Amino acid sequence: MNVLCEVAAPFVANSAVEGSSVARPFRAHADECLKCQARHAAMTRTARELAAMSQETFIAPLDLEWRVMSALQGDLAVARSWRTPVAVSAAILSMAAAVLIWRLRPRTQS
Amino acid sequence: MEMPRVERDKEKELIARAQAGDRAAFGALVREHGDEVYTLARRLVGDPHLAADIAQEVLIRAWKALPHFRGDAALSTWLHRITVNTAWTQRRRARRHSGLPLDDFVEIAAAKGADHPEVAGEVLELRVRLRRALDSLPEPQRQVVVLKDVYDWSHAEIAEAMGISVSAAKVRLHRARARLARQLEESA
Repeated sequence: MNVLCEVAAPFVANSAVEGSSVARPFRAHADECLKCQARHAAMTRTARELAAMSQETFIAPLDLEWRVMSALQGDLAVARSWRTPVAVSAAILSMAAAVLIWRLRPRTQS
Repeated sequence: MEMPRVERDKEKELIARAQAGDRAAFGALVREHGDEVYTLARRLVGDPHLAADIAQEVLIRAWKALPHFRGDAALSTWLHRITVNTAWTQRRRARRHSGLPLDDFVEIAAAKGADHPEVAGEVLELRVRLRRALDSLPEPQRQVVVLKDVYDWSHAEIAEAMGISVSAAKVRLHRARARLARQLEESA
């Protein structure tokens, strides 16, 4: 493995994304080195793919608008997602179970 | 992409009405920009459920801050900034979630190359590797790559949104790209 290739790698990657020349100390090497040129080509393709991502849109959950508007109307229980109510219910159920177990425990006579 | 004049005027009107407290007008803005906000949130944090929570919070924050929106920047730019801030403040939660279902990439790649199956396969393979490599970056590095290389923000904008200096943003980006290239090379 050529050490210079490894040292130059970050600069090759950046120049590919920026569409600029490789930083001067590594330029001569990168111009001659097939490995660095392959890396440059691969990163150029990656940069194109990254830029293309900006044109793609994920569809937001269908209830996003409803959740936002509910929150604005002060319905915080709905707005703060389902996690909080579920956690609170789980905590209450655990406490109830603990009380029940305590009450039903076998008692010894002293 | 520049918005056509008619749509721009319509949006301005909706913003003015929402600033005056009209929730229906704000609902229309949510419908218009919800996907965009959700998409950025999802790219920043990876997890779809967390991204939905962030998108919700962003839009609630936007409603509260709307009276201060002066229209110097486009509404979408303003919402993007709030999204980055919100995702950043939720980074601890975000750290507990990672990864994105493969189905998303299959869907995107299939749509993109429907007429050219061989291209779709190639795009899909690169997309999957790219997404995995992005996911494997430490979150601050992933965010700079997404903002600069996907959304084309300037170094100054990134620095401001992330609360770091412009030089720090540049260094972070430099390291992130190098790491991304290395990850992609290893996964090839």
